Amino acid sequence: MPEPAIDTDFIRERLAFFKGARFKTWLDICAHCGYCADSCFFYTAHDKDPKYMPAYKIMQTLGKLYKKNGNVTREELKGIADIAYGDCTACRRCSLYCPFGIEPALMIAAVRGMCCSQGLAPPALMEAAKNHLEFGNQMAITTEDMVETCVWMEEENEEEMPGMKIPVDKEGCDTLYVLNAREVKYYPQDIAEAAMIFHAAGENWTFPSMGWDMTNLGMFAGHAKIMAHAAKLCYDAAERLGVKRIFTSE
Amino acid sequence: MYEFVTGPLAWIAFGIFIIGMTVKVISVIRLASKKDKVVFNHWSWGWSFRSVYRWLIPFGSRSMREKPVLTIVFFVFHVCLLAVPIFLLGHNILWDERWGITWWSFSETSADYLTLLLMAAAIVLILRRIVLPEVRIVTTAYDYLLLAIAVAPFVTGYFAYHQWFDYKTVLIIHILCGEIMLIAIPFTKLSHMILFFFTRAHIGSEMGERRGAKTW
Repeated sequence: MPEPAIDTDFIRERLAFFKGARFKTWLDICAHCGYCADSCFFYTAHDKDPKYMPAYKIMQTLGKLYKKNGNVTREELKGIADIAYGDCTACRRCSLYCPFGIEPALMIAAVRGMCCSQGLAPPALMEAAKNHLEFGNQMAITTEDMVETCVWMEEENEEEMPGMKIPVDKEGCDTLYVLNAREVKYYPQDIAEAAMIFHAAGENWTFPSMGWDMTNLGMFAGHAKIMAHAAKLCYDAAERLGVKRIFTSE
Repeated sequence: MYEFVTGPLAWIAFGIFIIGMTVKVISVIRLASKKDKVVFNHWSWGWSFRSVYRWLIPFGSRSMREKPVLTIVFFVFHVCLLAVPIFLLGHNILWDERWGITWWSFSETSADYLTLLLMAAAIVLILRRIVLPEVRIVTTAYDYLLLAIAVAPFVTGYFAYHQWFDYKTVLIIHILCGEIMLIAIPFTKLSHMILFFFTRAHIGSEMGERRGAKTW
């Protein structure tokens, strides 16, 4: 089956959308001075291979898209996606090293959105990101399994810390605790350890049955819908349970 | 010719520079308030000021401290670029004759040395674009053109001061180069002269007010 053509109209629309005061000024004034190079661990880890320096990565991705006004072939967009997903973690360290405080990470995020819209996000990342929509967390853990894990952890630590509870969906608490899905799936003792600290501190806290995964693979993939969905689940839980603040692990 | 380049053309150049930069600043603020609302919800004058200040003083930021030689060259280049034309005795006399305004000026010898220093800094900046792979890869012809626009008034000014070649012609070329630079500022990357303060203030607030992190 031939691969679908690139929706250049959509990419053009995105390019226009992102051309606000920040992107425009950043692209207008970058002096190509090279201060950003040493801030990038992709660059230093590849024996200072210049093709990993941040400004160059932007020229090869967003710069190229603006120059061609979105008229790129699938092959070209694949090359752009390889840089946007593979050669940058969007850690924003280069912004701290730039004399102008330009933010390549935000530009990479914009490029990822365009690549993702054309089906060029890394397949494994997209697969996990879709779990956010179906299960409310990236690791496809059901609410049942999650609640069971909490009960198990309560029992496991009964002797060490009597009276310690992991209250699920308790209304009117001060603190809503949310975490990385990996903790529920692989490191349940992490939940217990956090619960011990809350217990010892006498904190009035709760753990939501839905919206407890604070990771956001939609954001990494550049998929706006999943990104919004995952973030909203967490805020919905906070509103539903009437808490004062959200606490995140990691 | 001399009358023309120091008369109407000078007015045009200064006019385009001042109006161009004003329009640029207003349009950036207007565009930001329309499309970049996120800039304003964490705006902080304190973080903005510190972010700008730290990057205006030599070695004020970690980035600058990690590349000391480059930092010295950058500062020499920028300080001379601004100070020499403003405090040059010849320019002050010209302004005094035309508009009756005077201020403090360098001695002719020190202005001469500062011009040499600027040209030396410019040569280092050009060499680094050729020699260092991470700078060469992002360098375009446009970058060399900008350096040429910025340095040309100083090279021609140096020639004029030492009266090499035909003084009258060199002087007119010098004035034209200066006017080209003024006109170019609002339309090229040289606009970072003003926009620097905006982008630095933004990143200072973005990192500082939002997450308590320093950008220097």
